[in-house]
Amino acid sequence: MPTGLFGLNPWLDGVIRLLIIVGLMTVVAMGLIYIERKVLGRFHARIGPQRTGPFGLLQSVADALKLVGKEDLRPRNADPWTFEFGPYLVFIPIFLGFVVSPFMAGFTVRVLDLGILYFVAVSSVSIVGWVMAGWGSDNRYAMIGGMRAAAQAISYELPFVLSLLSVSMLAGTLNINEIVEAQTSVPNIVWQPLAFIIFFIAALAELNRPPFDIPVGESEVVGGPFVEYSGIRWSMFFLGEYASLFIMSILISALFLGGYEWPFGTQLGIGWQLVLTVIKASMLIFLIIWVRASVPRLRIDQLMGYAWKILLPLSLLQVLVNGFVLVYDLPKLLLTAAGLGGVFLLVWLTEHAITRPRESRATAAATAATLQSEAAS
Amino acid sequence: MVIESAHEFETQDLLLNVGPQHPSTHGVFRMVMQVDGEVVRDIIPYIGYLHRGAEKLCETMDYRQGIGFMDRTEYLAAMNAELSYVMAVEKLAELEVPDRAQWIRMILVELNRLSSHLMFMGAFGIDVGVFGTPFIYAWREREAIIDLFEEISGDRMMYAYLRPGGLAWDVPANFVPRCREVLTAVRQGIADFDGLLTKNEIFIARTQGIGIVSAADAIDFGMSGPSIRASGVPLDVRREEPYLKYDEIKWDVITATEGDVYARYLCRLAEMRESVKIVEQCLDRLQPGPIMPEKMPRMLRTPPGEVYIRTEAPRGEFGIYMVSKGGNRPYRLKVRSACLSNLQALKHMSVGLYVADAIIVLGSIDIVLSEVDR
Amino acid sequence: MRGIAKSMLTTLSVFLRPPVTRDYPNFHKPLPERDRAFPLLLWDKDIDEPFCTGCHACERACPVECMTVLMKDNPNHRSVGGSSTRRKIIDKFWIDYARCMRCNICVEVCNFDAIAMNNTWSGHETSVYDRKDLVMDLQQLTTQSHSGAIKEWVPVLGQANES
Repeated sequence: MPTGLFGLNPWLDGVIRLLIIVGLMTVVAMGLIYIERKVLGRFHARIGPQRTGPFGLLQSVADALKLVGKEDLRPRNADPWTFEFGPYLVFIPIFLGFVVSPFMAGFTVRVLDLGILYFVAVSSVSIVGWVMAGWGSDNRYAMIGGMRAAAQAISYELPFVLSLLSVSMLAGTLNINEIVEAQTSVPNIVWQPLAFIIFFIAALAELNRPPFDIPVGESEVVGGPFVEYSGIRWSMFFLGEYASLFIMSILISALFLGGYEWPFGTQLGIGWQLVLTVIKASMLIFLIIWVRASVPRLRIDQLMGYAWKILLPLSLLQVLVNGFVLVYDLPKLLLTAAGLGGVFLLVWLTEHAITRPRESRATAAATAATLQSEAAS
Repeated sequence: MVIESAHEFETQDLLLNVGPQHPSTHGVFRMVMQVDGEVVRDIIPYIGYLHRGAEKLCETMDYRQGIGFMDRTEYLAAMNAELSYVMAVEKLAELEVPDRAQWIRMILVELNRLSSHLMFMGAFGIDVGVFGTPFIYAWREREAIIDLFEEISGDRMMYAYLRPGGLAWDVPANFVPRCREVLTAVRQGIADFDGLLTKNEIFIARTQGIGIVSAADAIDFGMSGPSIRASGVPLDVRREEPYLKYDEIKWDVITATEGDVYARYLCRLAEMRESVKIVEQCLDRLQPGPIMPEKMPRMLRTPPGEVYIRTEAPRGEFGIYMVSKGGNRPYRLKVRSACLSNLQALKHMSVGLYVADAIIVLGSIDIVLSEVDR
Repeated sequence: MRGIAKSMLTTLSVFLRPPVTRDYPNFHKPLPERDRAFPLLLWDKDIDEPFCTGCHACERACPVECMTVLMKDNPNHRSVGGSSTRRKIIDKFWIDYARCMRCNICVEVCNFDAIAMNNTWSGHETSVYDRKDLVMDLQQLTTQSHSGAIKEWVPVLGQANES
């Protein structure tokens, strides 16, 4: 019979870990909302929340209380099952993703040998929740948002998984903690710069963050699938988004930046390891918020075209190069060289694809002309 | 019995109501889009939500009372609206405006053009999807301009400052140094926008090739302002029928060739730089002097007649057609609204594009509903 | 990608500058002298009565008809033993701040310089819970000038700067 933490009964141990996750996740999400508002405010030359509590620290608490106190509106024709259960399907997989996040050595909630597979599988379940919310709301904007969310998430799943695959190929395992511990001397970003960039972009798309936030396009479909939700249900989506943002940054810092292992190794006490993880995650969160403040959003077809035509071939290329280097035992520096070449290729392809006049625009004009002549006749 | 259908897969078009309350319709404007999946097939605009009967009300107002109503007809470019109105009255009454008043009017109108184009940049940035950043930058620079207007006229948006014959009262003593401070701030703002949006690949991808209107079509629709200049037609009222002192200073008419959303954005950005140049030249030529003709009557009466005056508002050709039957109020006042004419091209520009693009096209025409509806 | 990098550098440069917002209720921006909030009636301190004689000029000139004016014989006039030269004085005066469009015409037409626009913050902070409370009567309109809390700016129409 396996024993849990401190030798407790495994069931009790499981419940304790569950409670830790729930508590931590809520606090983290609320803290992250506050941080985003403050940092985004500074990017906008303004201050952000500053009145509720010292430096506005209690703003998230006030928001949470307000949302809990709101009336639970339900559209009359909303499909009861999908409308009800959509938020849960979005929220719960994020809890499950928390299970494998490596904060410190030996203190992950559960160290799974199939860590990466588990994470990918679980994070894909949220997409079903988005589509349920969009469909069940009996609102055209919600439906459009839901369809866009599904298309986007499916398109970016592949580069996401393939870049994770390249990292696990290097370490030879799917166990996240072992991948972190394989980075004692050099973080993975040195060997896999291309995979890092592709993973970052795909993670932004999976999180529905700008520039990939067209399902929740605030200026067009005004909230997308969540437009009909109010009160606690809406707050579930909101908190879920920020909690998954946190988990994704922890994961990126663990897999690519060395997590708690680099540069000081496991001689450091677990307190310092936690601090190191949090520092790396914070840098990534800052970068994500920075991108939000600077970049317009991509249209759905441009987004999907980018994933299928540029990111997917390049991530396959990365996997291929990894394969060659690992099977034929070539020096690892080749990986870095190939990776940097791949990064230049990505930059060039992105610029080239966007600024070159494409036939598809002429097609749009031709379609418009045909439609008008059809309408006239 | 075999039933044949024309399509393999019957679908139904979706009627999407981009309603009067929407974050990106720039006011209370409603359009019903007939959408096939994501492609727009038809747009039916509904206007009139902001109709307040300004033209009819002005028939009961004398020439000084009507200035406040003209402010509210186009609140983002209020100086220009007031200018057209007072120029019409001056033409009817054959008043001669002193030089100092002309130069100051020019400065104010160009500063208002700057603040209006900044507002466009801000709102357009939000339409394209950058959350908040261009909006705040626009507001930061607009604050500098509006603070200056508050020091001159007393109000931040509804100035009621121009009068038939000249200005209501003179500008404060520190006007010229304050203007130069404002221009410095605005230059920094234009540089910020340039850095943020112009070369951004995603912005280019979203706006290039979208919403194209050819020069011939634009002329047929009666468009004016930056929207038509971006299609290659060098139509600028300040050049065609110069008013104020536009024929005495050096400035360029900005045109672009493609006629898409990106070209309209670039036109407005370049026009901001031109406005800065114009204001600087006017500041250099400002001399002390009177601001109203001597012997202005207490209550202005105009002889019978009719007049049509047009000026280059930031959005296009803003015209005032005024009929007077003697007396101190117009018999009929008609406002030729630039935005209403530009809005006619919306359907032509957006059919065949995606929903997200149609929103951007609407943003690029830069309408202000108070002028469309009056 | 390089354009995106340029955008990000622009936002970073704004991040590093101090914020430009002002913390409103704790900090009030100094208003310029010509600031134009809602109209107020001015108080003649020498004789201790309002300047306004109730001549209806502003009421007629107002584009939105927001004023109601009633005059009475001045009990303080010289001919009945007082110190004032005003034969008539204002009896009741209402301005509906909800209708006023702050166009300044009433100030321009007044023959006695008796009305001026409020150029202090109290003119801008006129929120009430009931719309009827926005109709200001004579006593509310004269309090500020009476207590000396306002330094009004009454322009001469069409007067150029001397220089």
